[in-house]
Formats: sequence, structure tokens, C-alpha cells
Amino acid sequence: MPENAGPNGAGKARNNIMEARGITKVFGGLVAVNRVDFDIPERGIVSLIGPNGAGKTTFFNMVSGLYEPSAGSFVFAGRDVTRLGAHQRAQLGIGRTFQNIRLFGTMSARDNVLSGMHTRLKGGIVGSILRTPGTRREEREARERAGDLLDYVGIQGREVFAKNLSYGDQRRLEIARALASEPKLLLLDEPTAGMNPQETARLTDLIRRLREERGISILLIEHEMRVVMSISDRVTVLDHGEKISEGSPREVREDPKVIEAYLGTAKTG
Amino acid sequence: MALLRRYALPVVLIVVALLFPLWNSFLEETVDVNLMYPVIVITVYIMLALGLNIVVGFAGLLDLGFVAFYALGAYVVAWLASGHFRQVSVAFGTTATSITGEEVPGIHLSFWLVLVLAGAFTALCGVIIGAPTLRLRGDYLAIVTLGFGEIIPRFFQNGDDLGGFNLTNGTIGIKAIDSPGFPFLPDSLSAWQRFGTLELYPWFYTILVMVLVTIYVNVRLQDSRLGRAWISVREDETAAAAMGINPVTTKLWAYALGATFGGFAGAFYGAFIKNVFPTSFSFNVSIFILLMVVLGGMGNIYGVILGAIVLQGTNFFLLPQIKTWVNSIGEAVGNQALATVDIPKYSFFIFGIMLVLMMLFRPEGIIPNRQRAEELHDETGSGDAMGGAIRA
Amino acid sequence: MATGEVTKGRSGGLLESARASSWQTRIAVAVTALLLVLLFVQAVRDPAQFFSQLVIGVTNGAIIALVALGYTLVYGIIELINFAHGDNFMIGSFVGLTVLAGTFAGIGLFSPITGDSGAFLKVVGVLLALVVAMAVCGFVNVAIERVAYKPLRNSPRLAVLITAIGMSFILQNLGLIWKGPAQVAFPELVSSANILPTDAVVFRWKDLFVLGMTVPLLLGLSYFVRNTRQGKAMRAVAQDKEAASMVGINVNRTISITFLLGGILAGASGVMFGLFNGITVFNVGFFQGLYAFTAAVLGGIGNLTGAVVGGFLIGIISSMADQYIGVEWTSIVIFSVLVLVLVFRPRGLLGDRSAVQGGGS
Ligand SMILES: Nc1ncnc2c1ncn2[C@@H]1O[C@H](COP(=O)(O)OP(=O)(O)OP(=O)(O)O)[C@@H](O)[C@H]1O
Ligand SMILES: [Mg+2]
Repeated sequence: MPENAGPNGAGKARNNIMEARGITKVFGGLVAVNRVDFDIPERGIVSLIGPNGAGKTTFFNMVSGLYEPSAGSFVFAGRDVTRLGAHQRAQLGIGRTFQNIRLFGTMSARDNVLSGMHTRLKGGIVGSILRTPGTRREEREARERAGDLLDYVGIQGREVFAKNLSYGDQRRLEIARALASEPKLLLLDEPTAGMNPQETARLTDLIRRLREERGISILLIEHEMRVVMSISDRVTVLDHGEKISEGSPREVREDPKVIEAYLGTAKTG
Repeated sequence: MALLRRYALPVVLIVVALLFPLWNSFLEETVDVNLMYPVIVITVYIMLALGLNIVVGFAGLLDLGFVAFYALGAYVVAWLASGHFRQVSVAFGTTATSITGEEVPGIHLSFWLVLVLAGAFTALCGVIIGAPTLRLRGDYLAIVTLGFGEIIPRFFQNGDDLGGFNLTNGTIGIKAIDSPGFPFLPDSLSAWQRFGTLELYPWFYTILVMVLVTIYVNVRLQDSRLGRAWISVREDETAAAAMGINPVTTKLWAYALGATFGGFAGAFYGAFIKNVFPTSFSFNVSIFILLMVVLGGMGNIYGVILGAIVLQGTNFFLLPQIKTWVNSIGEAVGNQALATVDIPKYSFFIFGIMLVLMMLFRPEGIIPNRQRAEELHDETGSGDAMGGAIRA
Repeated sequence: MATGEVTKGRSGGLLESARASSWQTRIAVAVTALLLVLLFVQAVRDPAQFFSQLVIGVTNGAIIALVALGYTLVYGIIELINFAHGDNFMIGSFVGLTVLAGTFAGIGLFSPITGDSGAFLKVVGVLLALVVAMAVCGFVNVAIERVAYKPLRNSPRLAVLITAIGMSFILQNLGLIWKGPAQVAFPELVSSANILPTDAVVFRWKDLFVLGMTVPLLLGLSYFVRNTRQGKAMRAVAQDKEAASMVGINVNRTISITFLLGGILAGASGVMFGLFNGITVFNVGFFQGLYAFTAAVLGGIGNLTGAVVGGFLIGIISSMADQYIGVEWTSIVIFSVLVLVLVFRPRGLLGDRSAVQGGGS
């Protein structure tokens, strides 16, 4: 898989789960993302890096449908999804986590995961009111699956309010909740932020397993370079909303433009 | 044991409620008070409060125009079970009969059928009103619902001449609404054949069953797939959408369900008091029901029921009592103003104070819902919904 | 999705959105155009009636605009629909009435100023009523904020809105206790005589009075917000409370001043309403308040110019509805405007504050 990682355009040879073309986002006068082309190959792990305020999260929000792009188009699994809202894209199989954790704080960990499962459950209103055998079975199975997912990401406290979980657990719970919607493409926004090295290592391993065991394609925003370099097939660098470099982790690391972008911010910051 | 703990309280409460006519007649004999009428009205309001609880308590939408659905339900009964449309003469399973045996003018459908139609009609209205508006932010939505809550009664008020057609009979309202009943029952059950104004217990059992159904639906939906979606959307609409939950349809369900129960309650109430007037459906009523939910505890079914009982109880018993006290104090000290003051007229002064105090000191209500209490005391920031979390 | 909605609306003004319009917007524009044409037909048929009605609309619009500014100022700064604002307006009219009666709490201070009093006394009376009402309403508004809203500043937005509704009922019932349930008459201090020599078009002294009082108030407010230190602080707090407090602005004080301003305008408006219409009543604030809120939303809530434009528009719409549709339908028309604007153009005509800055989220 990783050997396919070539610059844009070569991606045509292989199936891309997501193809973004000319994505632009303007806030008032500020161009947060500027004409970015971006491909995510099926079962690929692709990383998006760049200095603070480069426009990474903004790009994410457009991929997941929370923001409407000012220009550009998205094709997901062969279908133009540009005009679809966030919930429709989630139904098609785009799952995500948030940089600033956005769990449902006063729901238990398990219920958070069950919320993530929403679109994959059928239980209608009549079924719920009458508590038909079908609905009951579905609920029971969903609870079991939720438990399994919590085990999978490594969370013990199932009945704890999400907001009372530890920081690392909250991050993992966000992943479990996103996985519950059975995504084909998973967007992770700085999943290791605030984690210690052991936790980071475990999470890196988990991300790898998501691809290996579940065949999920992953788009990752990450500041921790060790993580990016070790698991990415391909890395894209944004700076001031522009794509300044793209390629294998090694290519990107040695790209002078990238070095300059990071040093530039280091100087001013 | 766990089963006992879970069902003991509801079962006891239901039994007490079912036996109410019994202990009411006991009260009547011993201390000569008949609570039947007020209790029926209180029960109607319990139903309204439970309907609004789905909207405000579960889905976190502030609805300031709930009275609109109550009014619509009442007018559906007035249209379909009275002599109002005397151009036509339609009867089906009705209790309305004429002494002469001629056809009765107007539409006279069986109350039970009308009840279902009223629920369906208000649900439809809920969807029509909700679909375009539920995208709005919480406070804007509140004002839009208020707008509808004002438009609909006013429309009823002006609806006696719609291009020459008298739809609502204007401010006079529609009178002489048919009673519910089961005309096919044997004469030994005459109180049930046609609900009368002397024997009120059939009315009581009808509304009690309606409330029990409402409670059942509330309970079941609370922990269902839809119930979880309501909490998600209430807490963080954006995150919910990213999980594939459609915020608009989720809210629409709550709004339409609330509307349906409002419509049921309105239909019953219209038949019970036999007349509907546009002026009985003012903004105050919406706020009164909202206060029941807020006072009792948003999202908590016991709380909401308690809120309805306390507030209507205040209206029926406490305020007149206070008036008597204040007036007699006034007479004793010779103060003309105090001796004649009509306390119930200022009920909304007291309710307004209650709203403010509740929000300031106990926003989660008397019997809180655990999650709501957490949300409302989360000092981290202000969300959009009633009790929503921070939006970063 | 909310986020998406907000961002969509963020760029561009009226023209741009007309170009990128959906079918809903087009229908809205078409309906508005149709109504304008119908109105024009009426205007041609009986121009005198139309212009007299227009004058009434503009005058009422001025009164509404002053109240609308109170909504918009407060919404702009703490994103709260201050539901009690309309009732504060009612308090203003009651205070004005009391001042003119010269008797407060049973103590006669001076003999009532009525339509028969001398011209000088009338002028003094009107000014005194205005000043006292402005002061009282300003104070009431600040007090409400301190007592009822401030403790809830970090609570969910709708909790504060419920509190505001509670405050509205409290004020309204205070009015009820104070002056009773019936309408109370205002002395006729400003003449209803026509200024114009012709009888066809009516422009009365009291129309002139209202407009003549409103314009300086609007100019004063505009000067205050644009040019004074406090006004700049207000704008800074509206933009970003945290940043404002970091640069040394006293946020609490600024919010209080905003409420003070809103109250002052409501007080002035209340007295003018009474003098103009000749009556007031304890629940007048409910409808006037909602009309004014509609005006604020129509103009774009948080936007001061918008509130004024919206106020005049609502005034004109309601006077036209009075004349051409029927008085009993006017409130339905206004509420429909409110609902339609919120549904189809929640940013209002001129765009709300969140159109300029980051918005709620
Ligand atoms: N909703 C918004 N409204 C206005 N400007 C915004 C909005 N969201 C982001 N921006 C601006 O867009 C630019 C890009 O922000 P973005 O959050 O995408 O950066 P990022 O690359 O994710 O940074 P970080 O590494 O800090 O997370 C920033 O200048 C930011 O201030
Ligand atoms: Mg980011």
C-alpha cells in the first residue's frame, strides 16, 4: 500500500475513497484554505500537517460537511458529496473526532457510543414505544457492540458520564463513538494531543489496527511528528491555507519549503 | 427486589389515581368538598406539560407557543363535533341526538374518532411549522414559536369571515360541543353512554387513560434510539450531525410529538368545557405550561407531573385562599385596598417571580433529571439549547 | 449543521445573496414585490389617504425604532432577547403619566398638567415626563440585568431567556397593580391639529413632535456608540468579551451601560407612545415589544442602523395593514413578518452582528 503514495494525479491509478478538488474556504476576508486538491486512497493513512492556523481543521470541517466550502468539490466513494450536510456524509461513511473534544458530556461512555451508532440502527419510534421484539433485540445487540468498541479502544468506565472520564479516555471515547458509525473514512483531528508517550504509542498502534483489521481509510491531523512519520503512507503540508508540499513522509521531511514554513512560525511564535 | 423498587412507586401512584373518584366521594361526604372538576383540569394540564416536556425537556427546544396546538386540538373538536357547520349534517357514532328525531345540523363525529383526528391534525401542523423553523438557533426558535402561538388564536378570533365563510365563529367561539360517550352501551351504564355534567367520573377516567398513555410514551422514548438522539442534539448539535444524526428531523420528531399531545389535550378540554373561545389560548397559557415543566424539572416525568399539580393547585386552591386571608386582614385593619384585592388576578406576577427564582436558584427543578442538572450547572459556557454544553 | 448555516450566511450582503438565492428567497422576493405593487395601486387610487397613513406609519415607526434599539443593543452585547424590554417600555409610559398627573404615592406634588394647561407648562410637563421616565426605565433595566441576568451569564442561553420572560411578567403585573386592567388616558398635551394647510394629507403636530424627539435621540445614540470611550468599549465587548477584558475594559460596567441606554430609549419611547396615542395599558408592552423585536430582527439584530430601518418599516407595514387589510389582522401580519424573516433571512435586511464577527459558535 504505502508504495502507491505518490504526488497528486498518480492517485488515479488506484481507487481513492475521497477526492477533493480546489477546496477553498473564506472567512470574511481571511482565506483559511486556498484551492487545495487532496486524495485519500482506499485503506490509506494520510496525514495533514502544518503550523498553527494553517487551515487543517477548517479543511477537516469541510470534508466532514460541517462547513460548506466557498469553492471546490468533494467526491466520496465515487459520489459527489459537496452539497451534502454533515449527517448525510456520516451516513455515507465519513466519521470524525474533534480537536477540542466534543463528547456528549452528560451521557455515559456507552451511550455516547450508542449515539454514534444512530445511523446504523433502525429502531423506529413505534417500535421503541411498543418495545417490539425486533427493537429490543437490536438495542441489546447494539449495547453489546458498544461494549466491544469500548474494549477495543480500551475504556473501562462504561457507565461514567463522558465529561468525568480522564483526558486520554475522552479522546479514545471520541474514536469509539466515531467507529460506531461504521465509517469507511475516519478523520482524526490531533488524536494524541495531551497524551503521554505510552498513551501516544498505544493510540498509534490502534490507528494502524483500524486499517489492518477494519479496512478503514484514515485522514490524520497531527502535531506529533514521530506519529506522523511512523504511520503515514503520505503526508500533505498546509501553510496559510495553501498546500506547500505532498509526498512520502521522508520526501516531506526533506522538503525545504516545509522546513521554512515551520521555521518561519517558530521565529514569529 | 430491583423490579419492586422500579415499579413500586408508579404502581402505587396509578392505583391512587384510579381510586380517586372513590376518595373524592368520601371527601364530599365528610368535609363537603368535591375535587372532581379541578382534578380533571389539573390532569389536562399534566398532559400538556408532559407533551411540552418532550419538546423542552428531552429535545431542549424552548417552545413559547405550545398553546397553539392546544387551541388547534380544541377547535378540531369544535368543528367536527358540534352544530357549527350547519350547512351540512353528518353524524357518525355520535352522542348528539335531536328530540324530534330529525337530522341534527352540523358535523357530529364520535369523540373518539375526533380525538384521533385532532392528534393527527396537530401533528401535521407541528411538522408544517417545525420543518422550516427548526434549523434556527434556540432563542430564535423560541420567538418563532411564540409568533405562531399568537398567530393561531388570533386567526381563530378573526376567522368568522374568511371571504364570507365562518370558520371559527370569531370571538364568540363555538358552543355546545358534543359530549364523548359510548352510545351502544346498555342503559345500566348510562353515565358512560354520554358523558354528562353531573357525573364527572367518566371524564376523569378518560383523561387519566390519556395521561397514562402519554407517560408511557414519554418513558419509552426517553431511553430509545430517538431519546439518545435528542440528548445528543441538545448537548452538541454539531457533534451529533457529525455522528450521522439529522438534527432537524430529530427535533421535528420532538416537536410533532409534543404537538400531538397538545392536540389530544385540547380536544379533550374542548369537549369537557363544551365551548371554545380564542381568548382562552393566550401567551400566558404557553408560559404557564412551560413553568410547570421548569418548576417540576425539565426532562423528569415525575417532576413535570408534580409541577402541573402544584401550579394548577395554586391556581385553584392556594390563590383564592390567599385572597380570603388578605381580604380579611384588610378588613381587620380597615385597609380598603387589601380588603378588596383580587389576588388571583395577579397570578402571573407570582408565576413570573417563580420563573425567575427557579432559573436563578434551581434551574433543574424540584425533581431534577440527572443529566439536566449536570448540564444546567455546567459553568463552562453557554450552549444553544436548553442546557446545551459548550460549543468551542 | 448549525455551524454550516452560520458560515453560509457569513459572506456577502443583500445583492450577493440574491444572486445565490434559493427558490425560497425568490418566492419571498416575488411576494414582497407583489405586495408593493398592490400598495402602489392603492397609493395611486387615493394618494391623500395613502400619504396620511404613511405619516402615521413613520411616526409609529419612530416609537418602535427606539424600543427596537434596546433589543438590538442588548442582543448585540450578550446575545439575549431581553423579553422584559417591552414591559419596561410600558413602565415608561406609566411613569410619564404619573409625572403629568403630579401625584405620586398619594402625595400631590403639583396640579396635573392637562390639555388645558398653558403652553409653557405643557412643554415643561412633557420634558419632565420624558426625563423622569428615561431615568426610571434606565434604572429598571440596569437593575434587572444585575439581579436576574448577570448571575446566569454562564448558563445556557435559553435559561436566561426564560428568566427574561419571568421578568416580563413581573413588570407587566406591576403595571397591572399600579394602574389596573383598563386602558388609561394620557392628557392631550400635543395638538392633533394638522400642520399642513390642506385637509387631504394629514401631518399633525404630534407627528412632528415624535419625529422631532426621535431624531436627536438617534443622533445622540449614534454619537455615543461611535465616538465616546464607553461606546467603543461597548463595541469591543460585543466583539469579544475576553479580549475586551484583557485590554482593560470593565465588561460588567459596559454591559450595565448598554442596559442603561436601552432603558433610556424605552422610557422616552413609552412617554411618546402615550402622548401620541392618547392611551396606555398595562400589557401594551407585550405587543409593542414584539413589534419592536420584529423590527430589530428585520433590520438585523445587533445592528443599530438595522433596528432603526426595521422600526420604520414595521411602523409603515402596520399602518398599511391597518388601512388596507383590517386592524384585526395587523398583529397577524406583523407576527408573520417576524416568522418569515427568521425563517428565510435570520440575518435581517442589513445583516446581523454575527455577520461581521465570528458568530455564536
Ligand atoms: N469559524 C471561523 N470563523 C472565522 N475564522 C476561522 C474560523 N475557523 C477558523 N478560522 C480561521 O481560519 C484559520 C485556520 O484555522 P484552523 O483552525 O483551520 O487551523 P489549524 O490548522 O487547525 O490550526 P491548529 O493547528 O491550531 O489546530 C485561522 O486563522 C482561524 O482563525
Ligand atoms: Mg486545528
